[in-house]
Amino acid sequence: MKKLAILLALVFVIAGVAVAVNVSAEGEIPAAPAIGATIEDFTLPDASGQEQSLKSLAGKKGTVLLFIAVQCPVSNAYNERMEKLALDYKAKGIAVIGINSNVKEDGAAVKSHAEANKLTFPILKDPGNKIADRLGATVTPEAYFLDAGNKLVYHGRIDNSRNGDQIESTDLRNALDASLAGKPIEKTEAKAFGCTIKRA
Amino acid sequence: MRLSRVVIAVCFCVLLTSFAALAQKRKSRPAKSQNPVVSAIDTDKLKSMITEQRERPLLVNFWATWCDPCRDEFPDLVKIDHDYRPHSLDFVTISLDDFSEIKTEVPKFLGSMKATMPAYLLNVPDPEPAITAVDPRWSGSLPATFLYNARGEVVYKHFGRVDPNELRAAIDKLVKKTD
Repeated sequence: MKKLAILLALVFVIAGVAVAVNVSAEGEIPAAPAIGATIEDFTLPDASGQEQSLKSLAGKKGTVLLFIAVQCPVSNAYNERMEKLALDYKAKGIAVIGINSNVKEDGAAVKSHAEANKLTFPILKDPGNKIADRLGATVTPEAYFLDAGNKLVYHGRIDNSRNGDQIESTDLRNALDASLAGKPIEKTEAKAFGCTIKRA
Repeated sequence: MRLSRVVIAVCFCVLLTSFAALAQKRKSRPAKSQNPVVSAIDTDKLKSMITEQRERPLLVNFWATWCDPCRDEFPDLVKIDHDYRPHSLDFVTISLDDFSEIKTEVPKFLGSMKATMPAYLLNVPDPEPAITAVDPRWSGSLPATFLYNARGEVVYKHFGRVDPNELRAAIDKLVKKTD
């Protein structure tokens, strides 16, 4: 009887804690895969409508998936940095792929934005935000670095500041450099900061 | 001679009366609408603001001028502020805009919304420690809204555009609104 009373008390305490904080969020965005998880191949149309697979665009030493946007000022503040990143690491065997999952930004908008901002890395359109959902991407810009075996080894921001003059921590570059050097990546996650991805 | 003194005195009185009338007119003219002052806040001050014990519950909304859902939900937040803050709830907004916009875009938007709650702008070189200090489970996506009770405990949080009825229900559990 005493044990039953203790058990009941425990149940009430746990239930009380569970309902104490009312948490809600828009829609149900799946959590991002854990660091170390293998990202399966996917196919998305590029800005011209041509289907492209992760496998066909992946770099020999890894791939960076960058969720970006046309209209987001934070994402746009990173345009030059993203292009430089793509150019710097292309020669080292790491490919950069942009993904636009915003429902209101179509392929034509993605294409003209890339031309206007001289973005030369491939940018894929993610209709129905399927890949954003699969990867748990929430904001732009948000980066996922997959190693040569498509294993997720870094997820999060490009660096600490949208303002290029205040960069103190180049988290994504640090991860790429460590991976290329065959060293463990010290910081595998850093919260991405930017505009919310507008989902379908 | 006496006449000229009288004329001078009359002129002086007329001038004095005119200046007084002008001053009165300026005083009674409605004040030029001013945008609210936005104060900078760093991670430490933010932490103490949300965790300290206080007399009233605290509602905190994180937003930015470049965030569409933030702008969309602001009229609802201003109404909630109007209904609850005068008597029972503290409400602050914290912008995650760039510091260069603390005297321009941020107050301009708040002014256009007729928002009068205390307004801050997170002025940190790296937002991650602040975001984690507020809630380790918060990705930093905007808008984000947190309701703290008087003991500084989170009793409600919402990521994305807030449902005003849901937020009001959460506030109602803590306070009485102004009728």
